[in-house]
Amino acid sequence: MSETNPNPAPDSTPKAPAAPVAAAPAKPAAPVKPISRGDFLWAGWSMLAAFFAASAAAGARFMFPNVIYEPSQKFNAGQASGYDLGVSTKWLNEQRVWIVRTPSGFYAMWARCTHLGCTPNWWGDQNRFKCPCHGSNYTLDGDVIAGPAPMPLWRTKVELAPTGDLIVDKAVLENKPGKREHAPYFANYASA
Amino acid sequence: MPTLDIEKIKKEVIDSQLWRSVFRGGVWKDTPRDRAGHIIGNVWLHLHPVKVRPRALEWLYTWGMGGISFALYLILTLTGVALMFYYRPTIGLAYRDIKDLEFAVTLGMFLRNAHRWAAQAMVVAVIAHMVRVFLTGAYKKPREFNWGIGVLLLTLTLFLSFTGYLLPWDQLAIWAVTVGTNMAGATPVLGNEGPLGSLVGMRINNDVRFTLLGGTMVGENTLLRFYVMHCVAVPLVVGILLILHFWRIRKDSFSAAPYVANEEKVDVWPHLVKREYIAAAATVIFIMVWSILQNAPLEAIANPNVTTNPSKAPWYFVGLQELLVYFDPWIAGVVMPGLIIVGLIAIPYIDTNPKGIGSYAWKDRPFANTLFMLGVFMWFALIYIGYALRGPNYAWYWPWEDWLMPKAAPPPTWSVFGPQGVAAYSMLLGIPLMGAVTAAWMLLPKLIQKELDGKKTMGAFLGAVALVAAIGMALGKMGAIEGAFLLFFTGASFYYGFVLPQRHIRTLDWPRYLVTMVLVVSTMSVLLKMCARLAFNIKYVLTIPSISMNF
Repeated sequence: MSETNPNPAPDSTPKAPAAPVAAAPAKPAAPVKPISRGDFLWAGWSMLAAFFAASAAAGARFMFPNVIYEPSQKFNAGQASGYDLGVSTKWLNEQRVWIVRTPSGFYAMWARCTHLGCTPNWWGDQNRFKCPCHGSNYTLDGDVIAGPAPMPLWRTKVELAPTGDLIVDKAVLENKPGKREHAPYFANYASA
Repeated sequence: MPTLDIEKIKKEVIDSQLWRSVFRGGVWKDTPRDRAGHIIGNVWLHLHPVKVRPRALEWLYTWGMGGISFALYLILTLTGVALMFYYRPTIGLAYRDIKDLEFAVTLGMFLRNAHRWAAQAMVVAVIAHMVRVFLTGAYKKPREFNWGIGVLLLTLTLFLSFTGYLLPWDQLAIWAVTVGTNMAGATPVLGNEGPLGSLVGMRINNDVRFTLLGGTMVGENTLLRFYVMHCVAVPLVVGILLILHFWRIRKDSFSAAPYVANEEKVDVWPHLVKREYIAAAATVIFIMVWSILQNAPLEAIANPNVTTNPSKAPWYFVGLQELLVYFDPWIAGVVMPGLIIVGLIAIPYIDTNPKGIGSYAWKDRPFANTLFMLGVFMWFALIYIGYALRGPNYAWYWPWEDWLMPKAAPPPTWSVFGPQGVAAYSMLLGIPLMGAVTAAWMLLPKLIQKELDGKKTMGAFLGAVALVAAIGMALGKMGAIEGAFLLFFTGASFYYGFVLPQRHIRTLDWPRYLVTMVLVVSTMSVLLKMCARLAFNIKYVLTIPSISMNF
């Protein structure tokens, strides 16, 4: 066709419009089958259902914030030499952490009951942490000894900075015996 | 001398275009047509029919508790909107604004009291309404669906309370919501601490708890979310369900009582509407007097790091708190409340007993009434234990014991089938044994075709338990108190969980029978687990810690 060829061959001349081929009877075009009422409704209702489902999913996604403004989980717990042997509740009110000093070093426990998240209290006379909400009891190691808590208290990452400060990071947690006694969940500090 | 003709003035006012444009109908002559017109022509009253069956008017039959619940809902809406004018839902301001409401705003204290007390009264009224509807069999066909709506309304009433008590931002607020949302975090699959949750990738910042809180801890977003749910979202849903509930009550002709011969309906105006106004007025007076006499509690400002000791939920959730002592959070906090809600909705579909509709006919439906009232009683017994018998460190204190008296540390707990020692122990022995006992308990009442003699069966069972207790005592494994606990709790579970089902529901078809037994056995498991923990320090009967499956 001339319209589709930008460089027509020299001999090409505009052709007369092709006469309808009268001899061969035109094949009747396949009749356009109209979409049935049933199919149309099915498609329509499906699209509506898909719209509602997608809206519900989008609405659910909307409820998950992408940016949250929560305080840093890392803090400086001060000079290691300032702690005596045993449990310190010095940071409980501000950081929800107990610093525990043993003869060989430090560990820190997140003061959050593993049952439903209340803050237990330290009872030195009985050597136990006791939760005021459902009565869970933990030993000094953080192991459950009574009450409904399902697992031991979480220990946090704790490091001794070159300045002699203890750096506690509540975002890094461990509570399995065998792992929690070692770095980074335990900071060696032998010199008393 | 001109006299003041009151009647003439009255007639002129009523006949004026202004009056007639507002109140159609003209002079009231108290004809049946006037009475009907007053109901039909008034948008607020037209949800009523014109005439109603006389049974719907009897205080002793209806207790008026549905209407009183609605009156309380209206009081809560009005006082709630008033409080919103002075309250800002942010951490820095919320507690201060409540203090301002109490001490600086005229009538602020009164309105807050009224809101708090009406909320508590509404919980009571809705529960009483449910008990009344149950005892009169008024949930049976064709009212099954409306009973289900009612159960949802009860649930939403409790949810409104739950969202409401975060708003003052005091110690009760933050710790109740911390515990409540951590229960959501223990949801199977959808919560980061629930069974299978970590397997499907649930973390602290993408699970169902995260959406509730709008963060990883109870904070600014949580307060705003609960505020929006409490003031807008949930009341809207409650309103829609209330319309449905009322509409269905009207369509079902108000009373489920059987028709008596020549029963003549009475005019709703004035007979029913009068009673509704009296109930509403009494409710308003009751709440006002209560609010004048007693101030709503407000604890110290919320401290997200330190919990008060002991820390207790509001009284209607203390039963749930007590349940959480005995079962893991995903069972006590998610599965059991879910079972209670679904089980209540299922009741009209599993109770096929055609008798006892519209009357307090205990004899006609001994099984349904006994088990339902046992459930209600247990809920309040748990509330009593949690409220009155738990002291500092949530330790058990008898009523005569002073909370200042230090309690010895509770003895260590243990698990019957656990991973201690042989790791496969619980898998090989515990799971099949637990499964077999549960299956036998579920199936035996129906498989034993002949009705057992209740007294002999109970005697034999109690004798066997007494023998076990005697052996235990002889071996020094338990004392007399533990023996009494064992006898009481197992005896009660056996009677309500086996003897009664065997007597009354063994002829039920299998699907209905099994659903009923799931509800019955779960209820009894509460009694048995309480006994195991309180008397024998058993923490879990079966524990598989690797997937957080503890029973």
